[in-house]
Amino acid sequence: MIIKSNYSKGGSYKTYLKVVQSIRSYLNENGYLELDLPVLSPALIPEAYLEIFKTEFTYMDKKQDLFLTPSPELFIKRLLAQGIGDCYYLGKSFRNSEPHSPRHQPEFTMLEWYKVGEDYMYMADQVLKLLQHIARATSGDGAQITYQGSQISLSKWERFTVAEAFETYASIKPNILLDESAFINIAKDKGYKTESFTYEDLWSQIYTQEVEPHMGMNGYPTLLYDYPVQFAALSKPNNDGVTAERFEFYIAGLELGNCYTELTDPVLQKARFKAEDKGRKTSGKIGHPVDWGFIESMEAGMPDSTGIAIGVERIGMIFADVPAIQDLSLITFS
Amino acid sequence: MTAAGNLKRGEFILYQNDIWQLLKTEFYSPGKGAALMRTKMRSVSSGKAMDYTYKSQEDVETVQVSSIEMQYLYKDAEHAFFMDQHTYEQISIPLDIIGDIIAFFKEGEAMFVYIYNDKPLSIRPPASVKLKIIQAEDAAKGDTVSNAKKEAIVETGAKVLVPLFIKVGETISINPETGEYTGRV
Repeated sequence: MIIKSNYSKGGSYKTYLKVVQSIRSYLNENGYLELDLPVLSPALIPEAYLEIFKTEFTYMDKKQDLFLTPSPELFIKRLLAQGIGDCYYLGKSFRNSEPHSPRHQPEFTMLEWYKVGEDYMYMADQVLKLLQHIARATSGDGAQITYQGSQISLSKWERFTVAEAFETYASIKPNILLDESAFINIAKDKGYKTESFTYEDLWSQIYTQEVEPHMGMNGYPTLLYDYPVQFAALSKPNNDGVTAERFEFYIAGLELGNCYTELTDPVLQKARFKAEDKGRKTSGKIGHPVDWGFIESMEAGMPDSTGIAIGVERIGMIFADVPAIQDLSLITFS
Repeated sequence: MTAAGNLKRGEFILYQNDIWQLLKTEFYSPGKGAALMRTKMRSVSSGKAMDYTYKSQEDVETVQVSSIEMQYLYKDAEHAFFMDQHTYEQISIPLDIIGDIIAFFKEGEAMFVYIYNDKPLSIRPPASVKLKIIQAEDAAKGDTVSNAKKEAIVETGAKVLVPLFIKVGETISINPETGEYTGRV
């Protein structure tokens, strides 16, 4: 890999800085405490579909495996259980085995933001207000932005449940979407390769091929919410038993953030950890100690809360009106 | 056969009994289900482009296509004609399949033609082409905006946006796939 400096595109970098500064000012003004957290950890939350970076601390003949955090979540939830209250982290996170692309870099800046005592729909309102705040800071108009020639109004969300989006764009009825074997049959009928792939794999493929290209493309940011429980991750189940309180949001086909009403049940969380850890092992991912201390701190009493992770460079792309993350970066690798 | 995660731009693959050339590949790990390979590809039989998302572990049939250097002769309303410089055999390729890059081909120039099972498929786009400017406005004095561009016409008749200092008679290099000016020769 070659290291390249990229100052000639300083204009976009400066817009990116304004985005970062306006996120901080919005959150600070609204009573959120900024958290300065480590990026190296001896244990992680197991996630079946994310690969991690492993490194090693050495001193004399002592060695300790350490891992770059793919998210600061494990630290923040401990602090929430200790009563830190509304807070956020705005800093680096790391994801391995994904090459540099216009929308992704293995090292990226994440905003992870928590509100105690509220749920995911409260966070959806707050995110819209944050987007309007960033728009005022970068273009002087909090209502309307232009991205790659398209006008986007930030006045409201275009809203879809996951089931509505699959019905609208992939012609898959809600009862089939939530029925694993029926869904796999539909995928086969549509011509996708189904042999040796799971419901989650096919769901993800059909979503990316048929649904995602329409997200955030109708003049408003899109809020896609209520994911099947198979994709609940660390979110709280809905009362219907088949979906979870999770949303993602999009502008111009670009996924920008992922929000949960946080799961506070340590028993359910422990079961999900075990399933995710098993998933990592069967897919041959890098092994790491599971952060069981996370479960213990949840047992001590995790407050009801909602949290969101936002890709800050992607937000920067939208407000700087550039097609690639690399257009914002002072240093790139190729 | 290869896993879709290994596919690279420019390669040829089989999809629904047709040969497609990959115009764009992007690995994508949404964190929900398998990692994916987003592609944009163009059919060599119809010239039609489409997006398709593979699971990164899915097997994809790749097609070994060779390329032969040929001389570009001329084009009519529907086809471009090329000659093999060793056998003097002439072949034609529909303009729909070659796409917009044809606008930057100068008659008599050498090009690489993709061949599969002795049949010409399409053109391997050169990384850059060198063409002479035949028409361009003079730069207005005092215009100091450093990124300003003007429209110019090159010897094949194609229009290109060039920096203000470029004059008629100069030769420039162009990326034929994007139609962008890349430098003065």
